[in-house]
Amino acid sequence: MVYTQKTPWTLVMGIIMVAYAYMVQNGMMEPVIKFLNTGRHAGEMQTLGFAFGAVAILVGLWQVLAAPKEGQTDYYLSTVAGLMFIMLIAFIVKWGLDPLMAKWGREAQPALGFNFASVMNLNYVVMGILAGIIIVNVFKVPGWAENGVRLSRLGLKTGVILLGTLYSFAELAQLGKLSIVLIGVFVLGSVGLVLWIGARRKLPNSMTGVMSAGIGVCGVSASVAAAPVVQAKSTEIAYTIGTVLLFGVVCMFAFPIIGKALGMGYVQFGAWAGTGILNSAQVAGAALAFQPGGIETLKVAEIFNITRVLFLPIIVLWLALWYVKREVGAQQVDVTRVIVSKFPVFVLGFILMFLLSSTGIFAPARHYQGAYFDNSDKALVKKDRSGKEVNNYLKEADVETLKKDAEKVKRDDQKAALQRLIENKKVMSEDDDATLRGIINAKLMSKEGTAVLNKAHRAIRHTAAKIAMFRDLIAWFFTFGLVGLGMQITVASIKQAGGQPLVIGSIVGVIKAVGSLIVVMLMVSETV
Amino acid sequence: MLSPRSILLASHGTIGAQAAEKIALGLCQSDTVLHHLIVVPDLWRGMMGDDWLNNASTRDTYGKYVEAQLGREIEQHRAVLEREISARGIIFQTRVVLGKPGQCLIEYAAESKADLVVIGSPRPPGISGLRSRMPLEKLARALTVPLLIAPYPK
Repeated sequence: MVYTQKTPWTLVMGIIMVAYAYMVQNGMMEPVIKFLNTGRHAGEMQTLGFAFGAVAILVGLWQVLAAPKEGQTDYYLSTVAGLMFIMLIAFIVKWGLDPLMAKWGREAQPALGFNFASVMNLNYVVMGILAGIIIVNVFKVPGWAENGVRLSRLGLKTGVILLGTLYSFAELAQLGKLSIVLIGVFVLGSVGLVLWIGARRKLPNSMTGVMSAGIGVCGVSASVAAAPVVQAKSTEIAYTIGTVLLFGVVCMFAFPIIGKALGMGYVQFGAWAGTGILNSAQVAGAALAFQPGGIETLKVAEIFNITRVLFLPIIVLWLALWYVKREVGAQQVDVTRVIVSKFPVFVLGFILMFLLSSTGIFAPARHYQGAYFDNSDKALVKKDRSGKEVNNYLKEADVETLKKDAEKVKRDDQKAALQRLIENKKVMSEDDDATLRGIINAKLMSKEGTAVLNKAHRAIRHTAAKIAMFRDLIAWFFTFGLVGLGMQITVASIKQAGGQPLVIGSIVGVIKAVGSLIVVMLMVSETV
Repeated sequence: MLSPRSILLASHGTIGAQAAEKIALGLCQSDTVLHHLIVVPDLWRGMMGDDWLNNASTRDTYGKYVEAQLGREIEQHRAVLEREISARGIIFQTRVVLGKPGQCLIEYAAESKADLVVIGSPRPPGISGLRSRMPLEKLARALTVPLLIAPYPK
């Protein structure tokens, strides 16, 4: 079978990408960039536009001019059109819709009394998933893009694997312990609860089995893994998957709104989303929706997600044994086969990347601990996009502001650190930085004085280029994966939410979401 | 009284469809051809949802399992209907297709050259079942032969 479909669209998308990158490079897009305030993305607009555009043009030409023959090359190249389709949507959303919505949100704030874009989390992640859902349900994914759209799950898995580079041993150990406790309690608890309710309501074992996996472990993926094991009927599968998808989509929008309303921190929200959202695909979406400009929440949420995934083979095995015990004539269970076939291999990739990064192969260890300290001239005096010099030393006016507030500082160490800052117009050491942060936190100075201290702090703290690159790369992989997954959420399947799975799913889903929220708020502190 | 020579019956084992089967069989004469259409709704294409965790082998196992399960359920339904039809000596053909139920029915009605199309009523609210309804208005406009909708059993 030949998979590649003859279409001019790959070529057209490639030309659009390259043309856009070229226009950004030559300043022709400057008015738009200024209007949308997307100057910080100008670099990636060029890099990604040229890179993806070039590949799309080459493959597009091959698709139009050559006659594809059956084989591996044809199969792999048939995915390129869909990949470019997703990337084009992601570009439009990230560089266009996201900043536009943010602008409208700010402009409408005086009239509405709140920033609707911020409150409703209308950022590139949420809008990317929404774009995917709208495309598949309103316009249909074009036939030539279908193979590539299926590749989106690979994007998410790659994102998780790369995420392994950004954890320290201490972080992973602490988050790992916390996630095992929370996931252990809530996953095993909800699986047990569904099995108990199913028995009480005298539901068929096949329905109870598939429901407990879907609602208890990680949603659609768990239903897919468990359905054949518990020999679920077609309607039972449809009800369960419909219910899980419905809950997943609702949670992805509701969780970040609730999280922000409750003033949750990154760790708290990541832990809650990773535990309370039924469907694992939406965990990453909710985490990035909560914190679109960084990946701290995603880091926490994905550890919980990975822990959940690691529970999957165990739960499937449990359900298989449970089913065999209750159903006459059910197929006997091969324990090793179930564990091996359901083991999420990509988690090994995550562990490997974590171990590699721990050796310092990607960046020095201290670069992983957030922003690192550097007060050299090279770090303080930089050039912006237009080549203009940006000097991050304190200005005379800043120094005067600090001098005015200096007498408010009483502690000797703080006085000394402040004096060194005034004399040198920059923070002189990591110890000084910590001491000056103490002045900020204690609110000793005026608003203006505190602003100057913050400015001085930002000037000497930097994110390592390699770490920043990893973060950007990871965010793009997740964006690609989530837009593509959005294209696989059909309203027709969500509409199947019903029957006992909807009733029991609603009960257990709400208990899990509220229960985990209470536990997280009471027991999880903001620092790890 | 209707005496069609060729009837297209769309049914898939639900209570409403069983009522349609009864009416269709009641209308059959000894020389009537009964075209039995079973549509597997295309909503099954999206029934892997946004699964991203499983490996290819698990997804493959699931896909094959769902296919086999749908096949088993269709075969059970077909066998029940065939028993009844065989006893009456009616000429009988079954067609199983994947797609949108309404669209498939319109296409098969044209292909089979049926004189009459028989379907069940939409499921009343509160009764569980897959949500994959035929758009009746569209159906009535597109069909060139009479459409008989069996009332839902009380």
